[in-house]
Amino acid sequence: MHGWCGTILRVDLTRGRVTTEKLDPRVARAYIGARGFGIYYLRKEVDPRCDPFGPENKIIMAAGPLTGTAAPTGARYVVTTKSPLTGAITCSNSGGNFPAELKKSGHDAIIIEGRSEKPVYLWVNGGRAELRPAEHLWGRSTHQTEEALRRETDEKAKTAVIGPAGENRVLFAAIMNDRDRAAGRAGVGAVMGAKNLKGVAVRGAGEVALADPAAFKAANTRYREAFKAKTKDNPPPLRTHGTAITVVGTQAHGVFPTRNFQQGTFEGWEAIYGETLTRRFLVRAKPCFSCPIACGRVTRIPEGPFAGEGEGPEYETVYALGSNCGVDDLAALTKANYECNELGLDTISMGSTVACAMELYEKGLLTASEAGMPLRWGDGAALVRLVGMTARREGFGDILAEGSLRLAARFGRPELAMVAKGLDFAGYDPRGEQGMGLAYATSPIGGSHMRGDPAYFELLGVPTSVDPHTWSDKPPLVAKWQDLFCVIDAAGLCVFFSVRYLVEQNLMVKPVGITELLNGATGAGYTPEEIERAGERIFNAERLYLLAAGFSRRDDCLPPRITAEPMPSGPAQGLVCRLEEMLAPYYALRGWSPEGVPSEAKLRELGLL
Amino acid sequence: MKVQVRAFANLRGFAPSGDGEFELTLAEGATVADLIAALRIPAAVEAVVLVNGRRADRPTALAAGDAVTLFPPMEGG
Repeated sequence: MHGWCGTILRVDLTRGRVTTEKLDPRVARAYIGARGFGIYYLRKEVDPRCDPFGPENKIIMAAGPLTGTAAPTGARYVVTTKSPLTGAITCSNSGGNFPAELKKSGHDAIIIEGRSEKPVYLWVNGGRAELRPAEHLWGRSTHQTEEALRRETDEKAKTAVIGPAGENRVLFAAIMNDRDRAAGRAGVGAVMGAKNLKGVAVRGAGEVALADPAAFKAANTRYREAFKAKTKDNPPPLRTHGTAITVVGTQAHGVFPTRNFQQGTFEGWEAIYGETLTRRFLVRAKPCFSCPIACGRVTRIPEGPFAGEGEGPEYETVYALGSNCGVDDLAALTKANYECNELGLDTISMGSTVACAMELYEKGLLTASEAGMPLRWGDGAALVRLVGMTARREGFGDILAEGSLRLAARFGRPELAMVAKGLDFAGYDPRGEQGMGLAYATSPIGGSHMRGDPAYFELLGVPTSVDPHTWSDKPPLVAKWQDLFCVIDAAGLCVFFSVRYLVEQNLMVKPVGITELLNGATGAGYTPEEIERAGERIFNAERLYLLAAGFSRRDDCLPPRITAEPMPSGPAQGLVCRLEEMLAPYYALRGWSPEGVPSEAKLRELGLL
Repeated sequence: MKVQVRAFANLRGFAPSGDGEFELTLAEGATVADLIAALRIPAAVEAVVLVNGRRADRPTALAAGDAVTLFPPMEGG
């Protein structure tokens, strides 16, 4: 095969056995790769009702056909599993260099199953793979683990590891690769910890074979040249300032979540947004594999109580650990970000959980003695402390480790958790951005912005702008973008480049560039329509898994703060999210019943019956 | 009439002073397009324009005291 390696690595941790098997070419064509392979194997092999921490759950680490190629941003992989945070599917996406190295080792995916009795790590050296003892690494930080794995295997190996948070089954623990890139959402790291798998080290043995190198190169050059032409005199804001520049867009629209979504504007935003980060802490921009943008931030806090160095913060982190906790101290939130990276935590859910605790405290529902400290809005020092306590499950950290929904429920106010399906929202308040509300409510993994991000067209002007306050026009757009994101994720590409250069620049975002690159790599002869259909197939397959796991229409919901409490101030003042008005037309145009169940006709059309 | 302008990222470079936050005097009835022209932002440079927190197109008329935000399209957060 070309583009695809054609080989899946299967790791049975219970028996300590590693085997390979062939990738079915029909599955490859229908599901493309990465996120598509994740849901294909999850549906085939993992009981939707299983205990996420039980040996019957599996972790599918899968790359796409463009991962590891020279395609712009061909850097991504997707980790799919049943989430311990939500009980739903999660498919968490990351870049860096590990995914490309996985492909170069000759594997499209690693399926990890069972549970090891003792801590182990997986060493994949080209075509050879083995499990090795990792008891000596248990308790180590992600950075220490990565360094140790490279020392013990190959100095050029790329790694994906968990930190103490994953070992301790913190429900929102991440899998960290290439130091500070995270497959962050919904507890993939905790599942790895429950399996006693500390990490994966991979060394490639060759290059990804291309079906039509000349056609691939021609397309690749054309899209890279288009990027260069557009950015020659105006470097992309993501390179100059990182994703934290996006604060400008959310704050200006009044949807920058503040104090657990009580407000949509933050008075301290200038102290924590991208241009301030550049001025105060930026060391250099850091690209992922084959990426011309370079949005990654290597940063250093030169002095003070939070002095240190590492990577970040991203926009989502600035929201979650910053405005959402009322923290305007960039050093404190950046330090909390470093701690999350080293301990292996999702910064979004960490911040959202602390914000929920702070609201409980400020409302008098949680006392300082219960929390072990006062939890006032804006207390950066408390925030940094809580990150470490959560990863180690120390004191109140043991409660935070269960996430915001369980925390809020414990103190009698579950509605104060800002989640959909138990997964914490990203940094966009849906009251001033109606499409995002529908996207959060219908995302197969819960409150994520990366399952069809309406912020592009509602806030950021990509590819064009739509009024963020209207709702009747949003269902078809959200469905279209959700399917597109399935395609981008399945191909192994990054959304940041793809939405600007690899799709038609109108709201229907036909994936012409992605199709061209996929055909050059795989020789599959896809049409853009077939690729769009594959995106729809993946999204519906994820929906089926969600329904089989016990979710239903009543779970396609948002907290009352979003649907019933009008935004108190700012440009979105007076608005609530009109989710109910959007859901029925959304289900209908997806070919789903009024209960949100895909119809037989739709499933037959997509080959899912 | 006077409007308050804030420009971000590469659009800061078009501010009359080095600072991205400034007051601009325009003719009564001026539009967003007039503001773009007054700042000499070329057509090739993309700019998202918000007036008082709401997306504004080039023909949108401005009023005295409006708060105008200018930023480049952003590929993500």
